[in-house]
Amino acid sequence: MLIGIDVGGTTTDAALIDGGQVVKTAIGPTDHQDILGCLLRALDKLTSGIDCRKIERVVLSTTLITNLIAEGKQDPVSLVLIPGPGTNPDDYHLPGQPIVLGGAIDYRGREIQSLDQSQVRAAAARIAGQGIKKAAIVGKFCQRNPAHELQAESAFRDAAPQVEVEVGHRVSGMLNFPRRAATTVLTLATRDQYREFAHAVVQAIRNRNIDAPIYILKADGGTLPLDRSEDRPVETIFSGPAASVMGVMALAPAGQTSVVVDIGGTTTDLALILSGQPLLSSKGARVDGMLTHIRAFAVKSLGLGGDSAVRVAKGHLTVGPDRQGPARALGGPLPTPTDALSVLGMAQVGDAALAMKAMQEVGSSLGCSALEASQKVVETSVEKIVREVEQMFLEWEQEPAYRIWEILQKERVRPQNVVGVGGASPALVPMVAERLKARSIVLKHAAVANAIGAAVARPTMTLSLHIDTERGVYSVAEDGSSGEVSGRNLNLQGAEDMARRLLMERARSLGIGEHADEAEVTNSEIFNMVRGWSTVGRLLDVRMEIPAGILPSWGGAGREN
Amino acid sequence: MRTEPIRDQASAEAAEQARTRDEPEASRRSSQSALVRPARSSQALKTGLIFFPAFDWAISPTHPEREERLLYTRDQIFEEGLMDLPQIEEYKPRLAELKDVARVHFCVPDVESKTTEAHLIAAGSTLVLADALMSNQIRNGFALVRPPGHHSMRVVHGNRGFCNINNEAIMVEYIRKKYGMRKIAIVDTDVHHGDGTQDIFWHDPDVLFISFHQDGRTLYPGSGFVHEMGGPAALGSTLNVPLPPGTTDEGIHFVLENLVLPILDDFGPDLVCNSAGQDNHYTDPLANMRFTAQGYARLNERLNPDMAVLEGGYAIESALPYVNTGIIQAMARLDYSHVREPDYVPGRFTQTGEMVRSIESTVNYLLNIWETKDDLISRAKEELGQFYRNRKRVFYDTDMISENQEETVRMCPDCQGYLMVGTQASQGHGRLNTALGVSIPLFACRSCQDDAREEYEEHKQDAKYDFVYLQDRPRDVYRSYHTRTRNERAY
Ligand SMILES: [Zn+2]
Ligand SMILES: [Zn+2]
Repeated sequence: MLIGIDVGGTTTDAALIDGGQVVKTAIGPTDHQDILGCLLRALDKLTSGIDCRKIERVVLSTTLITNLIAEGKQDPVSLVLIPGPGTNPDDYHLPGQPIVLGGAIDYRGREIQSLDQSQVRAAAARIAGQGIKKAAIVGKFCQRNPAHELQAESAFRDAAPQVEVEVGHRVSGMLNFPRRAATTVLTLATRDQYREFAHAVVQAIRNRNIDAPIYILKADGGTLPLDRSEDRPVETIFSGPAASVMGVMALAPAGQTSVVVDIGGTTTDLALILSGQPLLSSKGARVDGMLTHIRAFAVKSLGLGGDSAVRVAKGHLTVGPDRQGPARALGGPLPTPTDALSVLGMAQVGDAALAMKAMQEVGSSLGCSALEASQKVVETSVEKIVREVEQMFLEWEQEPAYRIWEILQKERVRPQNVVGVGGASPALVPMVAERLKARSIVLKHAAVANAIGAAVARPTMTLSLHIDTERGVYSVAEDGSSGEVSGRNLNLQGAEDMARRLLMERARSLGIGEHADEAEVTNSEIFNMVRGWSTVGRLLDVRMEIPAGILPSWGGAGREN
Repeated sequence: MRTEPIRDQASAEAAEQARTRDEPEASRRSSQSALVRPARSSQALKTGLIFFPAFDWAISPTHPEREERLLYTRDQIFEEGLMDLPQIEEYKPRLAELKDVARVHFCVPDVESKTTEAHLIAAGSTLVLADALMSNQIRNGFALVRPPGHHSMRVVHGNRGFCNINNEAIMVEYIRKKYGMRKIAIVDTDVHHGDGTQDIFWHDPDVLFISFHQDGRTLYPGSGFVHEMGGPAALGSTLNVPLPPGTTDEGIHFVLENLVLPILDDFGPDLVCNSAGQDNHYTDPLANMRFTAQGYARLNERLNPDMAVLEGGYAIESALPYVNTGIIQAMARLDYSHVREPDYVPGRFTQTGEMVRSIESTVNYLLNIWETKDDLISRAKEELGQFYRNRKRVFYDTDMISENQEETVRMCPDCQGYLMVGTQASQGHGRLNTALGVSIPLFACRSCQDDAREEYEEHKQDAKYDFVYLQDRPRDVYRSYHTRTRNERAY
């Protein structure tokens, strides 16, 4: 038996799955002050009368990190940069007033200016003096050579032992220094509170005699053992939208191209699944206004929902982007799409007479009947969604490419399905689908799709290996590990073998070793370094990936076909 | 302090002052900068960038124009996070159409056989940015692409100086045809003479081409002397500034401030393009100049080009990562004062008094040409009859092709005149195709248009040529006729 629980923005939904079938569900409101309580109430509803020894896996998705950041409850962190030559650090929109240290490493990982030790000690003293307990130290190109970050870390340990330090190369080794700085700060700022939460969750679940492994859903739709996620809490941000995409992955026809439309009260979340693979955000997740190295699905949030404010100004009808309260039918202040759907007989919510009155008002401003006004509200809403979906496809087509084959291969893709999740979906999704000339699918388990998605998602991981044979070194971007390699003539096959070995080790250390053989090489490149007219070494890059996917045990029984 | 996107001229200047207050002298905008080109009317704030390193294309594995060339530049600009900054918008390249190439070049025998996908993508990248610029999505654009193009001439039999087709010229003719712009200035800042671009716009008085480069007596392609100043009807619209080996930032900025900017101001172009080579750098293995990343950045700040297109630059580790970062920052009006090569020491390079004097005298000579160009043109036209004829030889170093050309230009009182070029090429002992190209300028007069079309029809029967081409720019049709098979096709 598999359990999925999604503590979402407004509701907490949960599902118990057995033998590829949803056997039990639970839905309740979310209380942001007591996420643990919501989670446990849902769990208790699912497990009452169930033999807990039969539970094989519990997967959670929560808004914990999202809320911490939205409410500004992160722990204070000082940012220390070692930027070397290039951009003026003031041009990055990084939090606080970063402290800048002298020292530089170049793109090959060679030291071009040594770290200024006296500046490091001064920085440590200043941070300690301000009473800040955490410092993120991030150097440009330190993923290619961590020496300066490690020197600074150890100097901090001596000069300010009470300050907890995290360094950039251990958080992410992908190219992009400001995103690495932001990710490192966010990691430190949320880690303690996340860890506390994770421990409480484990404690409470074990108290209920559930021994099954506990996982958390990441923003890229993959699961990670809860205890292993404590080092990288920010990866769990946006796990709600990820759960909804994974729910569609589990419930919609496999391998097809689908638009996921999740229409809630205030917003509509849109995501794309391209030939069975959810589209990732090309620039990483944007958190607190900053781009990060967090892999996340490309989810667009549109200010349009069942409760969006409907207004008429100068004969022009607008829907959203704001919500002023519930639908008029439920005693709200302004007409809403929900009222329009009620008038059209497409939804039954609250007092139909109030909805009619709301639409009559809209109609009189537009000079038409309540029925026509309702149709216009629905058309406007559908139009907004369709335009945004088309924009998403366009943006995906226009993503930069750096190789000839990428430019030649990218064909125009159109959606086969529009899959509706969330309350207002059954009414609007068929119309969106018609406009996009795609099949409309409204899931039978729409209300608990997120929980199902979490329950059956498999782990994901990536491994990016960079090898410089002239310098005789390699580095792994994901965890900043590095080491020596021998042989200037290492070929791509050799590099891929090495990547596979490293991936296996990393998968084991993340507690997902049994999935390591699902990894595929997604990119591998070799560059000969030519100096004069002879080859002096090679640069090799291999990237391996276990992409977002559904556990094989889910089977096809629960799917639309 | 943060650099906010600049909204208007007043706040731009305020931001500029704030930013430069505590910076080293070297990066400060010159205070006597009366000649800063006025910004285009565009309200767009962003700099458009296309980075196309063609990681899967090389001339040959060890050739300087190989996959590795922009690898470290990629690492640097991606690590800098430049594409994430609000001042910069990254665009996706596309393939140029064959027609876009045929608008500029007579490819013998055809465009398909002289271009690969990499060439069409490099050229197409400039067109994507041109469209973004003309639709006011961006304030300026930088096509950081390879392979380069400025050694490609009007007639293309093969690869010259690592170039097959001229990206910049393809962009210029595209912009003129699609958007009706007429006066364009191209400033070639590559260390090598931009002989291809010069050849293409030689007879065009509406395209001002200024190339500064290491003296042709000491460097490929061995041309670009002061006396090369355009065809008879376009004298002075080509200006060459040969510089002594060892010229520093100081020398090039002297040329910029005293020659290039004043002449641009006088010419008043609709568009300024930088043919942006980076091989003037002090570490470049193929040349001997002493230009730095700071010098390049300041050059772009002062020149303020609407479009920059990468040309050469082969110090792939010691120069390109830093120079490209500096150019992007300068174009995006970001602070570039932190860009520095690892071994750079301010004041490291100085020019001898002799070099300074030689540069000054070249600048004065060219200023004089610019001032007297109208007289030069009318005198030249008086001396010539109805047609101007000229023979020349072209050598293609990469492909070892020798070409003989004979060009004929009508000396028209109403327009720049149509042009015909006969070409015959050989490679080793093998004779390549002979061809005749007839070219109608976009702004040609009615009678030049009619006569040129007639010339094309007549020469289709001419057994001297294997191929006859017609560049009919006013109609945007590019014909090609194979005299053996009598097949005609049109792009
Ligand atoms: Zn060059
Ligand atoms: Zn004419």
